[in-house]
Amino acid sequence: MYKNKKKGIVGIIVTVLILILLVVFTNSNVDQMSYIENIANIFVMPIQNGITYLKNKLSGNDAFFADMDTLKAENEELKQKNSELEQSLRELEIIKAENETLKEYVNLKDKYSDYTTIPADVINRDISNYSSTIIINVGSDDGIKEEMTVIADSGLVGHVISVTPTTAKVQTIVDTATAVTSTISTTDDTIVVQGTLEDKTTLRATFIPTDAIVLQGDSVETSGIGGIYPKGIHIGTIKEVVNTSNITDRYAIVETAVDFTKLNTVLVITNDA
Amino acid sequence: MKKILAILILILSFFILYFLQANFFTWFTIAGVQPNLFVLFILFVGLFAGKKLGLILGIILGFYMDVIIGRQIGISGIMLGIIGLIGEYLDKNFSKESRVTIMLMLAGCTIIYEVGCYVFNVITLSVNIEVLYFIRILCIEVIYNLILVIVLYPLLQKLGHVLEETFKTKNILTRYF
Repeated sequence: MYKNKKKGIVGIIVTVLILILLVVFTNSNVDQMSYIENIANIFVMPIQNGITYLKNKLSGNDAFFADMDTLKAENEELKQKNSELEQSLRELEIIKAENETLKEYVNLKDKYSDYTTIPADVINRDISNYSSTIIINVGSDDGIKEEMTVIADSGLVGHVISVTPTTAKVQTIVDTATAVTSTISTTDDTIVVQGTLEDKTTLRATFIPTDAIVLQGDSVETSGIGGIYPKGIHIGTIKEVVNTSNITDRYAIVETAVDFTKLNTVLVITNDA
Repeated sequence: MKKILAILILILSFFILYFLQANFFTWFTIAGVQPNLFVLFILFVGLFAGKKLGLILGIILGFYMDVIIGRQIGISGIMLGIIGLIGEYLDKNFSKESRVTIMLMLAGCTIIYEVGCYVFNVITLSVNIEVLYFIRILCIEVIYNLILVIVLYPLLQKLGHVLEETFKTKNILTRYF
């Protein structure tokens, strides 16, 4: 009898403690805990850094063992690609010059033409299947602040959610908690792209205007609305438009330009947009 | 003294598991889904070392994980603490000497942990609810965890008995008298 009573009290105390913890923790965001994060990182990040370095070394040496035939074929392919790229580059140069003159005509200032960026390595990927945050090896010592935009060579990666002196946590755009206001570059219609659980390489575009014409292959860029991401950063291309019975409900699948499974180096945009 | 040493070894093995999960299992996935070593670890501690250690280690290590990589602080700690508690109750009601019971326990705990975390995320981060994809990922994760426990069962059993001797010597007697 006595034992049961005691057990009941312990149970109640534990429950109350858990509830208090729940309230305290849910009211504090990650960004306010950077000092704790810093202490926590001391135990993990140096080793993690070393492991990542080793891993990169190893995967770099993989190429050494590839056989000659594949190398030759790859070389051919790359040469062809190179000539194609040179051609498109020339076309782009022409368009750029044309663009400059047109801009001069309309007196438009190109606000976002040059970003100052800091390169960084991805040193830790998410350990959960349901979220997608990464840790990069630059921090407040390098001038990184919260809500800075992170990009890769081919497009948008995400934004910084917390920093310590030597590391920064980045929430990627494929995370289910992220929603980015963006525009379809051909028609300038505003849409919202969100991460999904379905796939780590696709996003779901919702809030498509009813009169908008969305086509497969259209490019999607950030719109600059919302204040975190600067305008005009490439996100991806529209892979599929899914029409539902109600046109306000329709959505599109956007394929990200960045391959998040092979993301190794990123750039952090440091000048305020 | 022995107990402190055992706790230190447990904490050290948590870090080893963390590096395994963050480096090896982000690459060694089944259809892009990672297993969850932490649920396995805390359930193991709860089963063999009792609810006190399971709860405390679960909360502290879960909190630690959240601080390092999470979007929100706390939920992993709470859910892992609950897993530690459940471990003790499962130990009282079921046998740990059979592979199948441990597998079923692990499947149940993984489901409880992930559903708890997901519901919390849906509420606090206003994540879109995608039940079908969630269930698909969860199923693969549970299967992956089960495969791991099938492989690791002899090791877990041996280490578990060492742990049980260190923490539960008195309790074993009281249970039968």
